[in-house]
Amino acid sequence: MLPQVDGGTAAFQLLGVHKVFGEYTAVDHADLTVAPGSFYGLVGPNGAGKTTALSMAVGLLRPDGGESRVFGVDVWASPLEARKLMGVLPDGLALPERLTGRELLSYLGQLRGLDAPTVAGRADELLDVMELSGDSERTLVVDYSTGMRKKIGLATALLHGPRLLVLDEPFEAVDPVSAATIKQILNRFVAGGGSVLLSSHVMALVEQLCDTVAVMAKGRVVAEGPLDAVRGSASLEDTFVELVGAHLGGGEGLSWLAS
Amino acid sequence: MAGVLIRMKLAVLRHSIAGPKATWMLTGGLVGLAIAAGTIAVATVDAAPRTVADLLAVTFAIWAFGWVLGPAFGGDPVLRAEQFALEPVSRTRLALGLLAAAFVGVTTAVTLVAFAALVVFAARFGAVPVIVSIPALVLQLTLVVLLSRLAARFFGALARSRVGAAVTAVITAVMLVLSQSGWVVFIALDAVLETGFSHGFSVAVRVLPSSWGVVAVEASTRHDWLWTVGPLVALAGLVVLLVLLWARALGPQRLTRSVVRGSAKDQAALWAHCSPVTGVLVKELRTWLRDPQRVQAIVVAPAFAILSGVLPLLFGSTAFLPFVGAITALMGATSSANLYGQDGTALWLTLLNPGTEADDVRGRQQAWLVVYAPLSVVLTIVGTALHGDLAPWAIAATTAVIGAGGGLFVLTSVDQLVPGPDPHRNKNSPLDHGDVTGPAFVTLFLVLAAATPAIGTVIAGSVLHQPLLTWAGGLVGLLTGVLCYQLFGLLAIKHLAARGPELLYLMRAGKEYEAALSAETAVLKAMPRHRRGLLWTSFFIGCLALFPQGLVPMGMKISGDIARVWFLALYLPDGLQWPVIALFLLIGLAAFGLSGWVYLVESRRLKAKLERRAEERARYADVLPVG
Repeated sequence: MLPQVDGGTAAFQLLGVHKVFGEYTAVDHADLTVAPGSFYGLVGPNGAGKTTALSMAVGLLRPDGGESRVFGVDVWASPLEARKLMGVLPDGLALPERLTGRELLSYLGQLRGLDAPTVAGRADELLDVMELSGDSERTLVVDYSTGMRKKIGLATALLHGPRLLVLDEPFEAVDPVSAATIKQILNRFVAGGGSVLLSSHVMALVEQLCDTVAVMAKGRVVAEGPLDAVRGSASLEDTFVELVGAHLGGGEGLSWLAS
Repeated sequence: MAGVLIRMKLAVLRHSIAGPKATWMLTGGLVGLAIAAGTIAVATVDAAPRTVADLLAVTFAIWAFGWVLGPAFGGDPVLRAEQFALEPVSRTRLALGLLAAAFVGVTTAVTLVAFAALVVFAARFGAVPVIVSIPALVLQLTLVVLLSRLAARFFGALARSRVGAAVTAVITAVMLVLSQSGWVVFIALDAVLETGFSHGFSVAVRVLPSSWGVVAVEASTRHDWLWTVGPLVALAGLVVLLVLLWARALGPQRLTRSVVRGSAKDQAALWAHCSPVTGVLVKELRTWLRDPQRVQAIVVAPAFAILSGVLPLLFGSTAFLPFVGAITALMGATSSANLYGQDGTALWLTLLNPGTEADDVRGRQQAWLVVYAPLSVVLTIVGTALHGDLAPWAIAATTAVIGAGGGLFVLTSVDQLVPGPDPHRNKNSPLDHGDVTGPAFVTLFLVLAAATPAIGTVIAGSVLHQPLLTWAGGLVGLLTGVLCYQLFGLLAIKHLAARGPELLYLMRAGKEYEAALSAETAVLKAMPRHRRGLLWTSFFIGCLALFPQGLVPMGMKISGDIARVWFLALYLPDGLQWPVIALFLLIGLAAFGLSGWVYLVESRRLKAKLERRAEERARYADVLPVG
């Protein structure tokens, strides 16, 4: 079932990545391979280890073992080179909160050593596309809504022109309008030759966007491959429930509810 | 309602009893008990009753200030009204329930012990004053608990806007100065015990509600029933009033948060063509000016310093004025000691841009200098001019403290990071932060320690009557300052680069990352950082208390060859010297005992963990074929 991609050319590879917190194994020797130009969805129930795996993948959490490679570059051995190739949107993390969107992008461009006119031009376009200019021009990030936060997060991930995007729950708590904007940008990014790795627990969305999926449960990757191969003839949701071996609750008890 | 809330609070306390919180609770509880014992000792002092009553009133006022200030440093209480906003309970009932729950806690227990001083004082005069003292004690305790909750509510609402934060800062500074200037009274204890306080002071201190219990007990000894019952009734009335006020305050928040606007489009990229360090500097300065919490830190430092300098003017002394600038920088460092913690998980951006750790640390240091150094220098110049003398002292202190502060605040905030909610989660409740007392004190002591070479040079110069050496203090201050700024900044950079992901984990998960262990791991390294901190702190306190403050003055007392120097006990009146020496011996032994106990417990825990690991490994080896 594993896609056959040569390790050197894969957009992204996670090789036997492992993480234990005290007595609890969060990620258990996980392997993932994202082919160049693919839209890759990582699904799994809450607590499956998606965020932990992605944090290790991008260099925000030190793995106990295993490797993470972006276009063949080891994230932990050559962090500088690896991170130029990827853009990251973590879920629910803070930003420099007392800056406006434009100030934030300009600051990050400066931090990454991009030249000021390029940053100004890109920031202009990104803010317009994300609808964060105009009325919200002078709003500080701390006062942004959830959707706006996701959008400015995506803008920070795109600013330096990466070839791979790693997005943790990019659609979590985002309103349909913002979600549509984000979807469109991601589709354009992939159409232009970029690769996307995103995690989500919204199956319909993954089915709609992704060409490749992996399913995580209890820290392990239990399935990986092209969308149609993984879901077979059933829907992704049914396959998912079966794969993670979940028991569907909500059928019994609660007889007093609205009776 | 009250029963449910009390059980709930106990459950929360039980679950938080493991980890750093327990260590702090234990340490805080022990220190608190020692202070409470001191308060009771005040009630037994051998002096005129009126003088003792004055002393008690001062002590109780300090306790009350402590309660009002507590929430500003210790974060929000365990149970908050917002958590019950959707429950169908009236506000008054909720207020009473929360009040009952507020009584359950280490701080309340410690304060109860301290306030028992009132009963001890009353016991000197017979049964009737004791009977009076008991309701007074209960009312007084209720009063401080209520004041604390109301203050938290009030400051919490104020601190959401920048103006409010500045107001809060000034109020905080006033109370800090008043409560810590209480020691002035005790320095002059010898004189006070003989002559008593001035009439004006006596009256002034009795006006405070925290002293009304003392007033009642005192009146009952004179059989002055009007002044016995009066203060008690007034106290009860005040308590009822505060409960009602609190119940009102529990409703939906009245003060809306004022929204700060950022710069316009053409201003956003100012300085963008400069180096990354400048980028961080500009980002930090924008944050300093826009974040109410930072505005509060900017205001509280000079406010505290100026008040500390002005208060001695009451006694005709201007000796503190030249140091107002140095104190500003000192407070600035202290209140910035958790800067990384305040920014929360925003650290991920630094981690994702490897090599920018240095820019981040240096940029923050520069921003801190821009905020505090000019202020500190101006205040030093003005203070020294007003005093007219002490210039070498002021220059040495200011240069040393600015440099050391600018280096140490950033090192402490990386090394002793206290996780709290991310800034966008607590924008409506700015008091909901981690307990920053630890890093604040660490910074305070380290900055003071770093300033000793400069001050020492000045002292040496003035003792030896070498004006040149005295003035050289400024040079030493400048050198140590620059050295500290560079060196501690460098340490912070190294630390951030080496432990970045672990710090991010700490802020994300709110707890330390549990590292993998091996048999070679030393106990001291394997134990959680807060435990190690407790071990070293209690060891240090043990050394201080047992030897210089306990055994040495004891030897002097026995040999009769007394040099007071800095031996606290020898400054006290004769009757108190032996008890204080005994107390220090006791504290010293207890502190050593505590550090030994921590070591034992932790080494046992490590051993158990390693054994369990080995067992697991053996089990897997049985199942899996090797290779």
